[in-house]
Amino acid sequence: MTLTPSNVFTEPLEATPVPPIPSSPRPRTRPTLILSLLLRKMGGAAVVVWAAASLTFLMQVLLPGDRATMLLNQQTGQVQERSAEELAPINEMFGFTDPLLLQYLNFLGGLLRGDLGVSYQLLQPVTTVIGDQIAPTVILTFSSLAVAWVVALVLLVLTARRVGWVSRLFSGFEAAAAALPQYWLGIILLVVFALGLGVFPVVGGEGLLGLVLPALTLGIPLAGFLGQTMRTEFERTLDEPFVLTARARGMSDAGVRIRHVLRHALLPGLTLTGWAIGSLFSGAVIAENVFSRPGLGGVLVDAVNGRDLPVVCGVVILVALIYVIANLVVDTAYVLVDPRLKLAR
Amino acid sequence: MGAAALLSAAVLTACSGTSGLVSTEQVADRQSTDDPQSGGIIEYGHLQEPKCVFGGWIQENFTARQILDSLVSQDDEGEIVPWLATDWEVSEDQLVWTLDLREDVSFTDGTPVNGQAVAHNFDYWLDGGNGTAAAHLGGFYEEATAVDEHTVEIQLSAPFSPFLSTLSQSYFGIQSPTALETRSDEENCRAPIGSGPFTVQAWESGQYLEFARNEDYNSAPANAKHQGPAYVEGIRWSFIPDNTSRYGSLLSEESDVIGEVPAVNIAEVKERFDFEQYITPGRPVVINLNTEKGVFADQQVRQALSFATDREANIESAFLGTVPFEPSGYLSQSTPGYDVDAATEYPFDLHRANELLDEAGWTERAEDGTRIKDGERLEVLFTYGLNTIVTPDGNTAIQNFQEQARAAGFDIQLRPLTPSENSSGAFSGPDAYDAQVGYWTSPHAGILNINYRPGTEEAPNGANTTFLADQGVFSTIQQALQAPTSEEVTEHFSQAQYELSELAPAIGLYTQTNTIAVSEELSGVWLEESQGGPVFHDAYFVTEESGTDESAADESVADESITEEEG
Repeated sequence: MTLTPSNVFTEPLEATPVPPIPSSPRPRTRPTLILSLLLRKMGGAAVVVWAAASLTFLMQVLLPGDRATMLLNQQTGQVQERSAEELAPINEMFGFTDPLLLQYLNFLGGLLRGDLGVSYQLLQPVTTVIGDQIAPTVILTFSSLAVAWVVALVLLVLTARRVGWVSRLFSGFEAAAAALPQYWLGIILLVVFALGLGVFPVVGGEGLLGLVLPALTLGIPLAGFLGQTMRTEFERTLDEPFVLTARARGMSDAGVRIRHVLRHALLPGLTLTGWAIGSLFSGAVIAENVFSRPGLGGVLVDAVNGRDLPVVCGVVILVALIYVIANLVVDTAYVLVDPRLKLAR
Repeated sequence: MGAAALLSAAVLTACSGTSGLVSTEQVADRQSTDDPQSGGIIEYGHLQEPKCVFGGWIQENFTARQILDSLVSQDDEGEIVPWLATDWEVSEDQLVWTLDLREDVSFTDGTPVNGQAVAHNFDYWLDGGNGTAAAHLGGFYEEATAVDEHTVEIQLSAPFSPFLSTLSQSYFGIQSPTALETRSDEENCRAPIGSGPFTVQAWESGQYLEFARNEDYNSAPANAKHQGPAYVEGIRWSFIPDNTSRYGSLLSEESDVIGEVPAVNIAEVKERFDFEQYITPGRPVVINLNTEKGVFADQQVRQALSFATDREANIESAFLGTVPFEPSGYLSQSTPGYDVDAATEYPFDLHRANELLDEAGWTERAEDGTRIKDGERLEVLFTYGLNTIVTPDGNTAIQNFQEQARAAGFDIQLRPLTPSENSSGAFSGPDAYDAQVGYWTSPHAGILNINYRPGTEEAPNGANTTFLADQGVFSTIQQALQAPTSEEVTEHFSQAQYELSELAPAIGLYTQTNTIAVSEELSGVWLEESQGGPVFHDAYFVTEESGTDESAADESVADESITEEEG
């Protein structure tokens, strides 16, 4: 992820002399190479997950105030101090009075066994809480991502380096979209398309129709980001000699843009996507709230408010895993888009 | 947020002409008759999702009302009427309550509702099953025993006059002892077994709770509008946290009823829907002053702050006139036994506030106008749970208060707390704040006993958030709890309000309210008296003959103005 693609590809693809692939030694070394790469990646992932879980655990435990008091207060809607007598059963049930180290070891032990524990507030196993809510969030995340890519690509290919004002206008649109607050955008979409025109339901639920506005809410600002990031690279590439060559061969403008130039512009967009998946996943709460959708965002907010450690940890670990996987996928996608990277390894 | 909501209101008005013509799909095609017709699913849009269907939180009280029956109910005159208990009496010394139970009622798992079941529930609440129930009865409850199959005796350790009123709340809904004993906590949390008009059918977390009609229901309270099973087949209780979406779902007819109508929409709602507002009894939203430590340990300073601001104008502006100002720091105006004269002893009087502060020795002023005594500034810390205890509108009211109190020389620092900070106990002790904003719903004035019992070493009282330790007030409250007749109860509670007012440990701001807006296609929804939860057992869908839409609409407008006055 340390590459800055816009600097790497100053030479056009076609102009790079491709060294002959040494065909005999590669097949022998490949399995071990892949295995070690995979092990390294998984080791890294494990460290990331362990660190995320431990940090969450420490934060939740060390925040000011008493967890048993909080649980009792939240069950009754009060905000008062509690007597030791009232707290004893809760402390015993969740082991809040055990030494910190013991609590931490129990927690890690549970994680290793794949046991995330039981929610303090909902009394359900964390795996059930997350399992019930993960599908809508995953669907929303990837629909938003799809919306963002489609919008960004269409605008980019159609408008980059056109007549001066067209290009500037759409570049401006992208900047504005990137700066749109999602909450505001969501409310506007809701008021115009669900309440005003009645095209979409107000309360989203799980149907396909209910997915459109939430996906636009998260997708439009991301499209702005993606578009802005790729536009610079796209316009720079249009000036490359190989583009001129392609045009000289009689290739159509659209062909040049899509087949040759876009490939170069995709890389910064891909880099951004790795980040965007994680960010969409954790930012889904806004769309969930406005459109009354189920999902993990709401679960996380409630759990943080209630310091429901098992649930918070469960969601944090999940998000950490998703970041790790997304980055793995992006690394792979790089290679697909630009075969030279395969050789660099 | 504010801007978005206003905008939505503008857009909504523009498209309002078309609604009202669409008929409800759920209703079977039938001419209107005298009998309300059966069928349909009520779509209800609610602000917050409960943690469990039954519990000590007000949100859980609302859902529990749909599936659990209580022993008694409270009617709109404040009278206690039969529910699962048909008759009751209290012993001469007021320590033993004997309740006769209905003989023909079963829980939905087949377990009979009998003396043993009721006694089991009392023990369950007090043993940690329900913190709110324990807060009400703790210190009074001794034991419950089934005298015979259909009679239960509750033994108290001290007289407790609001006993029945307390039991009318859905925190005291009776559950099947078989379910409590044989099922897991999780099962009882998500689908408790009662004898009520509905049962829990499904709970899609983050989306909705589905209630199905209890076909064998035969135990509606005496103040219900009909006996027997509910008219509708079920309720879909959706969680719609966003204000614009919740109100929008009513406009787009995706909801038949919504709760917690946003303040900016109330004027429009009154014109277009049936609107009901419940003013919650108990402790209203008040500023509790720390009487143990800091500047408010001085009674004169507390009284000065009570006089220092124009609270009535403040609340009017912060809530756009939709929520009543509550002058009393102790009881809300809808609480039985509320004394309006005691409540209004501190009108806006800046002159008097300044006099009191001068007398208390806060004579100098700093450059910014803050008063100074012995080099110490009159600086105080207010804490409150934002978006949990105090709504965004309530936050505006607190900021107005802060601004207005400057004139008398108070420098108020505000510290809004996150939900986890607020309930963690870290901001709850006498060292944590000078003043704290809070409320506590209760159907009776006995809430004073919870809030003002002086804490002791053996029996600390965390609910006493002003830390007032005044034996005089406490014994007046005890007299009220032990008085044999309701006149004497009221008299003693009145006296307690005067005594508290003199000591000035709290300053009233506004009442808690609960509101619903009901589509004109649905009739018979009411808010129960003890906590203001919606009751759907009597609700039914109205079929309108085509062409009579206009007159039907007019009628419902007339109905609604009556409802409003009652509220």
